[in-house]
Amino acid sequence: MELSNIEKLLEKYFEGETTLSEEKELKVYFTGESVPSHLERYKDLFQFFSDESQVTASSEVSLKTNSSKVPWYTWIGVAASIALIVGLFIKDIPAGADHEGVYGTYDDPEIALQKTKEALDLVARLMNEGKKELVYLNEFDNAKKELVYINEFENTKNKLIK
Amino acid sequence: MKERAFITLTNGFKDKLYRLAKRLLVSNEEAEDATQEILLKLWRNKSKMAEYKNVEAFAMTMTKNYCYDKLKAKETGNLKIVHSNYKDERPSLQREVEAKDSLEWVGRIMDGLPEQQRMIVQLRDIEQYDNAEIAEMMEMNETAVRVALSRARKTIRQELLKKHNYGVV
Repeated sequence: MELSNIEKLLEKYFEGETTLSEEKELKVYFTGESVPSHLERYKDLFQFFSDESQVTASSEVSLKTNSSKVPWYTWIGVAASIALIVGLFIKDIPAGADHEGVYGTYDDPEIALQKTKEALDLVARLMNEGKKELVYLNEFDNAKKELVYINEFENTKNKLIK
Repeated sequence: MKERAFITLTNGFKDKLYRLAKRLLVSNEEAEDATQEILLKLWRNKSKMAEYKNVEAFAMTMTKNYCYDKLKAKETGNLKIVHSNYKDERPSLQREVEAKDSLEWVGRIMDGLPEQQRMIVQLRDIEQYDNAEIAEMMEMNETAVRVALSRARKTIRQELLKKHNYGVV
């Protein structure tokens, strides 16, 4: 194509008045080899445009993002917490069974009454033994009486203030 | 609509969505996220797809709006990263690298354009849509598109001239 023609086209191009086919001509011309030196600066521009139109996304787009967005290791956390919760409840179940074994019940009410009395006696005896030790608490009361002398202290103090 | 049919339909313009998003958001990852998001939205509303006159243009408009929202959400954080690249630029000795640099330079000039102009240049000069289609995608009228396009191209020319006069920066 003639140089003057190209220059005219370029002028139109910068006014935004070229058609798409004219722009294609410009693109072909400037990406070619024979570009005069005074127009060389536009080479980059058109080269850039044609390069950029080749750019594509590197990753494939999928329509099922919702499931893939959850990383696999979150499921380990979910499994661990379920195991923990279940573990907490399961702990009580065999323990409850044990209790029944230890405190057996009596079928005969007579024996049950006797056994209960024995148990209560035992508790009462131990309790009385323990209570004997508490006699020393009286010492506490005696010591408190001694503290009356502190009142003397107060009285002298009041006199001093006067 | 079956998934396969949807994928065949969107494969035609998927890369265009990605490139538009990348032009605005700069980062590859964000552009991929944007593309994914738009396609998912389309997929969810596939029942309404028959009502759209032009699915491609509709998807482009969605991408544009999505990117605007993204940019608004993080203000100019993204642009700062781009600007810091200017300083790192050093003249390189090898011709090959130089050629690559000067193409990157054009990219940087484009990134410096206002968002709307950047998109219009993207749609027109890179994706080769005609002005009527761009007007539909951008929700503007054709004259405004032409004016913005010319303004953007002139800015690019001016920047290219600057670079040419100073030599390789």
